[in-house]
Amino acid sequence: MIFRHYQKKHLWPLAFLLPTIIGLLVFRLIPIFWSFALSFMDWQIFDTATFAGLDNYIYIFQSVTTLQILRVTFLFMLMYVPGAVLLALALAVILNSGLRGAAFFRGAFFLPYITSTVAVVLVWRWIFSTRFGLLNNALDYIGIEQNPAWLADPAYALPAVAIVSIWKDAGFYMLLLLAGLQTINNEYYEAARVDGATRWRRFIDITVPLLSRSLFFVLIIAMIRSTQTFEITYSLTEGGPNGATTTLAFAIYQRAFVDFDMGLAAALSYVLCVILGFLTLVQFWLRRRWVHE
Amino acid sequence: MKVSLTSISILALSASIATAETTISYMSWSPDQLELEMPVIAEFEAANPGVTVEVQAMPPSDYWPKLSALAAAGDLPDVFMMSSGFVDSWGLAGNLADLAPLAEGTDLGAYFEGSLTPGMVNGTMVAFPQNWVAPVLYYNKDMFDAAGLDYPDADMTWDEFRAAAKALTTEDVFGYWVYGRYAHVDTWVYRNGGRYLTDDKSGIELNAAAVNTLQFLSDLIAVDNVAPQPQEMEGIRQQDVFPLGMAAMWVDGSWNIDNVRNVADPSMNWGIAQVPMGPDATADTAAAYAWADMLSVSETSENKDLAWDFIQTLVGGERSAADFPGGKVPAYRAIAESDEWLERGSQPANKELILEIGAQTVYSGFSENWSTWRGYGAEGQAGLNGELDEVFNGRKSLDDAIAAFTAYGNEVLAR
Amino acid sequence: MNRTLVLLYAALLVYAAIALMPFFWMLLTSFKEQRDLFRIPPEFRPTLAYTDDPFRNYAEVWTQREFFVYFRNSMIVSGLAALGQVMTCSLAGYAFAKMELPGKNILFAVVLATAFVPAEATIIPEFLLMRGLGWIDTWLPLIVPSFLVGAFGTFMLREYFGALPDEYAEAAIMDGANPFRIFFEVYLPLAQPALIAIFVVGFINNWDELLRPLIFLNSEELFTVPLGLLSFFSQYEAAWHQLMAGSVISIAPLVVIYMVCQRYVLQGFIGGGMK
Repeated sequence: MIFRHYQKKHLWPLAFLLPTIIGLLVFRLIPIFWSFALSFMDWQIFDTATFAGLDNYIYIFQSVTTLQILRVTFLFMLMYVPGAVLLALALAVILNSGLRGAAFFRGAFFLPYITSTVAVVLVWRWIFSTRFGLLNNALDYIGIEQNPAWLADPAYALPAVAIVSIWKDAGFYMLLLLAGLQTINNEYYEAARVDGATRWRRFIDITVPLLSRSLFFVLIIAMIRSTQTFEITYSLTEGGPNGATTTLAFAIYQRAFVDFDMGLAAALSYVLCVILGFLTLVQFWLRRRWVHE
Repeated sequence: MKVSLTSISILALSASIATAETTISYMSWSPDQLELEMPVIAEFEAANPGVTVEVQAMPPSDYWPKLSALAAAGDLPDVFMMSSGFVDSWGLAGNLADLAPLAEGTDLGAYFEGSLTPGMVNGTMVAFPQNWVAPVLYYNKDMFDAAGLDYPDADMTWDEFRAAAKALTTEDVFGYWVYGRYAHVDTWVYRNGGRYLTDDKSGIELNAAAVNTLQFLSDLIAVDNVAPQPQEMEGIRQQDVFPLGMAAMWVDGSWNIDNVRNVADPSMNWGIAQVPMGPDATADTAAAYAWADMLSVSETSENKDLAWDFIQTLVGGERSAADFPGGKVPAYRAIAESDEWLERGSQPANKELILEIGAQTVYSGFSENWSTWRGYGAEGQAGLNGELDEVFNGRKSLDDAIAAFTAYGNEVLAR
Repeated sequence: MNRTLVLLYAALLVYAAIALMPFFWMLLTSFKEQRDLFRIPPEFRPTLAYTDDPFRNYAEVWTQREFFVYFRNSMIVSGLAALGQVMTCSLAGYAFAKMELPGKNILFAVVLATAFVPAEATIIPEFLLMRGLGWIDTWLPLIVPSFLVGAFGTFMLREYFGALPDEYAEAAIMDGANPFRIFFEVYLPLAQPALIAIFVVGFINNWDELLRPLIFLNSEELFTVPLGLLSFFSQYEAAWHQLMAGSVISIAPLVVIYMVCQRYVLQGFIGGGMK
């Protein structure tokens, strides 16, 4: 800590944090507590709200769909988070190594993140098409005949959504990691090179520990994003087939804006928050073991 | 009585004119339809000096979140579009003004009777039809000719349909194409006297005729092989399968007439027919399936009479047939029955068939939370849709699917 | 060594092709006639390019709608919101990383936890709140919160400043500089790559945002680009040819901003800081 020698030392950080504290109270916590209160209400949005106690939560725990929604949410997280973060790390490290043409690749890899989702999904639908799709034709070409109906078969739809999501977001995480890589002093690498360390050793011994704070940040952000994926699912599979890609975020949208059941949607949201909170705590606990402070 | 009420509304109208600045807000879920409405909206403003109409249109997936927010704040627009599927939920909660007192003096006989029924909730008219649609059987005349078959007509039985589908199936073409959504399946169910709901609409309980219908449709795929599994066609928009010539017959909403015209090769000859009546049905139990895009006045509107006048402008005789392209039927009879709307000289040759369907006894099958149990909008892959897909794709038995759907639907209806 | 390099380039090129393809398909589609969009097998030629009016879709998009207005609005809203994020988050991220305050970890946890709550749950209360403030049908709900709080940027800069050694401040402390000067003159310049990343991401996210402008705005003269694009949808279908042209137009500024900013992200600062 830098400023322990200053007098009135708490005033400075308070001044730095003042906008955040005001914004947090007014624009974040008010709506959040409001919606939390709604989770104890029976409120179809076009109707008057009545107090319902724990009814919404009880409904969620008894519903025939809840288990599947949770399963899909976790499975998606397990596919998306490692996939997106590892791909982004590889891209960032490669592009940071002073390769020729790196500027072009950086632009190319980031483009999916910019391109509008509806446009992107149009082409991915064609790629995944059962009979005429690029993917299945490519599989045919290399001799794999049993081609799945990617978007219509519950066993393949979630991986398909994960592939598109990873493809779309990897450039975003790459950008964050590239910024993080700038904090690593080149002198470390030069010293290691003098010592004769291989590329791989330099990556493991220097890059990973010194990038670990950024990596940790990207990991948490990816985890949060994985539970909020909505647009791609909506336009690619609409949560189907038969619920196979209906994650919690998607179910919350359905409860809120198709069923207009704001109480139920809010309750589902706080189920999601509890899960995320728990996973984040675990991550912060694990952080001590691998993040280089 | 009638006279005095009308004069009151005229008084109210002139009062609002006297206050000069009055605004009528109007929200629509169809941006391109709003374009077509702009001329009559301008006429409405010209006819009512001091009245401004504020319009906003966005597609359905964005319309409902926006309308939800406005409903939560008690700021619903004076006039807004209402889906047949949502009338029950929104009407029962008291958001939609009772239109009957406003409609005194309006000749309701000028509108299709069947199109008025979806707007009735517990005997109160809370939504008024602008246009309506009905599923029809599309068929490829060239393929029927090549197979030497008669075109489908009103007397066709399901056995004859099945035989035709078999005869039409070749190596390249399927006899039939079915996708398990409400527009593709429920007509068959209702035309067979089938019901998903109990009579009081409080629960899901498929009657035998409904089960038989679903069995018939899934047999077309699994037993007769005259229709593809839907997953085989994934990647082609379902509404393009028929116009692209990949199937000889197809059932979908009349609004797809437009799409068939756009996508099909201009040389393709095709027509529409009514979905055949089922073997379990009698003339009394067989129902036609049709529903309407409706307009409602909000209960909180301060200008209900003016709002009603505005609705009449949007749905009444001042509109032109060209504003209702393809298979959207104007609720105002005179426009629908005009030669301009019937579009003599373009395909299909018999658009009056849709009017005939609308004149029959209509069962719409909507209930509270219909979109959730049936599967609609952002829940288009859920509920019955999701289960039927599994059956049609050969991954689940019909019995298992019905059991799962019934459990889910009853849970939803019990909310 | 050379072999590895060749393989590496091959892999990068393949992935670049995969990354670029949907964009090119979008570009291609924007030069097609409507009836050529969903052909089976797909139509690979930009069919409009063979007519005497190749830019018809673009012209229709630009003239039929108030696209210029949407564009200007999106620039203002996204630019201000992104700027606000950079300012607020750098202050907060720095305080969380480098300053001492009892309970600051709890405060940080609360900031982070607000990111867990999905927008679908809070949008209606947020709407009612903004309505209470009288901010409906203005840009304030889209801009002001960005100037006050941002979980993503705060978290990112907390990690970023945390990775910079405390020793950098020593000389300035000797000189008696106050904490703000140390932040502003020593650490902030070093955080340039992260600040630019936050600006870029903030700009893009605000540019793409649909739900909140949809709920908060009513007047067309205030609409942002995504709201404008909605007019290419109808009840059953979208005018895909126009939508694609509109999408190409709408991402153009994002590409430019990214390209310009990316230079600065990668200029690097190391060397200056350590000496």
